[in-house]
Amino acid sequence: MAKKSEFLFSKSSTRFFLPWMCALMVFIATLISAGGIVISNSLANWQRGVSASLTVQIPTYDKQGLPRGDAVTQDVEQTLTLLRTTPGIIGASPLNNAEMAELMSPWLGTDASITELPLPKLIDVTVDTSNKPDLEQLKANLNAAVPEAILDSHRIWLDDLINLSGGLLDLIAFVLLMLLATVAITVIYTTKSSLSIQRSIISLVHMMGAKDLYITLKYSVYSFKYAFWGSVTGFTLAIPVMLGLVVFLKSVSTFMLQASLSHTEWLALLSIPFGMAALAFCTTFYTVQRYLKKFL
Amino acid sequence: MTEQSKLSPFIAEFNGVSMRYSGGPEVLKDIHFALTPGSFHFMTGESGAGKTSLLSLLYLHHEPTRGRIRLFGQAVDTLSRSAKAQIRRQIGVVFQDFRLLEHLNAFDNVALPLRLCGEKESDIRKNVSEMLTWVGLEKQMKAYPNALSGGEQQRIAIARAVIHKPALLLADEPTGNVDDAMAKRLLYLFLELNKLGTTVVVATHNEGLIKSFNFPQLHLANNHLKIIPPAEKYSDMTAKLFKKEAKNG
Repeated sequence: MAKKSEFLFSKSSTRFFLPWMCALMVFIATLISAGGIVISNSLANWQRGVSASLTVQIPTYDKQGLPRGDAVTQDVEQTLTLLRTTPGIIGASPLNNAEMAELMSPWLGTDASITELPLPKLIDVTVDTSNKPDLEQLKANLNAAVPEAILDSHRIWLDDLINLSGGLLDLIAFVLLMLLATVAITVIYTTKSSLSIQRSIISLVHMMGAKDLYITLKYSVYSFKYAFWGSVTGFTLAIPVMLGLVVFLKSVSTFMLQASLSHTEWLALLSIPFGMAALAFCTTFYTVQRYLKKFL
Repeated sequence: MTEQSKLSPFIAEFNGVSMRYSGGPEVLKDIHFALTPGSFHFMTGESGAGKTSLLSLLYLHHEPTRGRIRLFGQAVDTLSRSAKAQIRRQIGVVFQDFRLLEHLNAFDNVALPLRLCGEKESDIRKNVSEMLTWVGLEKQMKAYPNALSGGEQQRIAIARAVIHKPALLLADEPTGNVDDAMAKRLLYLFLELNKLGTTVVVATHNEGLIKSFNFPQLHLANNHLKIIPPAEKYSDMTAKLFKKEAKNG
């Protein structure tokens, strides 16, 4: 004869509500966690890239707006000479028109003729990251040799980006915490409702000598089961959406975001449904333990 | 029977026990009595005299507002929750309203105490089948409570209370829903258990049964307990004890 549970879980709201809620929460949590990982990776990438490069700008127009003509070529040559003799700099080369056009393409498109624009000449400088040059000294030397030259270490741009990304990561962490709190509160209330419906059954098995742990585990395992299947469903639904977003990001913004995840990061995402089910288990355990204190 | 019950001369001892429900008047006042192992008592008294309350103190569903209760040699107010659960496993209770689980069939209802104790499923199958045969319900094994008559439900409730061979059996009006013939038959079931060493307390209004079976009575009146010894010769140690207690006032 098949063993049937003494608890009437079929009438419990946990059975209907918990899987759907967990599916939705895990779906959202997976997407925003993946977003957080992409932002975090991109940030590290930008920092690496920026700390390994400098840019020197040589204006092609003077302060009155008149073309500087051959002085630009002379300034470029002098700057290159200075840079190539500075310790800690392993390469310096001016960007040609094609490279400038590619650099400006996200803003100007691919058809714009950059030669007609008052853009400065740019010199791309590669820094030895293990032996970085003294930037203040370099700036002073450059100012003495080529007063028109501007040394750009990208720091201001990077600081803004770091602030923005840090804010986004904080926001993601906050939203994740809110999701977890929502799940915990919902589990508490569905469990309380279920306990209330089954009060007479609990009272009976308690009087027959059922230990608190026995009753608690019955409820907690039940919650875990439904939370787990809901969470797995939510995660499964999030995967195609995530892959779609990766493809989309790669197609529109390769220069900004590193839209790919490592195996470890995939594993971290995979822990979300398990974590959600574990949260449901622990919350139910705690709620039932507290409820049982009402009985002698 | 437990180690404690072997050490203590009593299954249950009440010393100056009083009880009230959340701020209401005392429903039981200054109750003193003791149950020796293997004794059989009727619990009598008018409706509302406190029989169900006294039974609920015995199966640890309520706690006294005053006085001390010892069960199986242990003071219950000092017990941990786990130890209380262990004590409850030695007590079988037949409730006045049966309290069968409607979503479980007769077999699963009777099997419940064994499952709570973690018995093997093969042993449960054997023991429950035998028990249902003993109470004459072997053919209703798969029937759900709502498909059974009041008397059949009563017998399922009794089978569930005794399936784990409790050291103490408490029955609250177990014959309330059956005719006299069935009432006697049920009492014989309790007697059989009693002969095997189970201490039995049966709360009843059935004067016929009380007269026929002639056991000492725990009689409740005006919230106090009076012990009425059996009418005629009754030579077991319980009767001696109660006679002695009655003499001492």
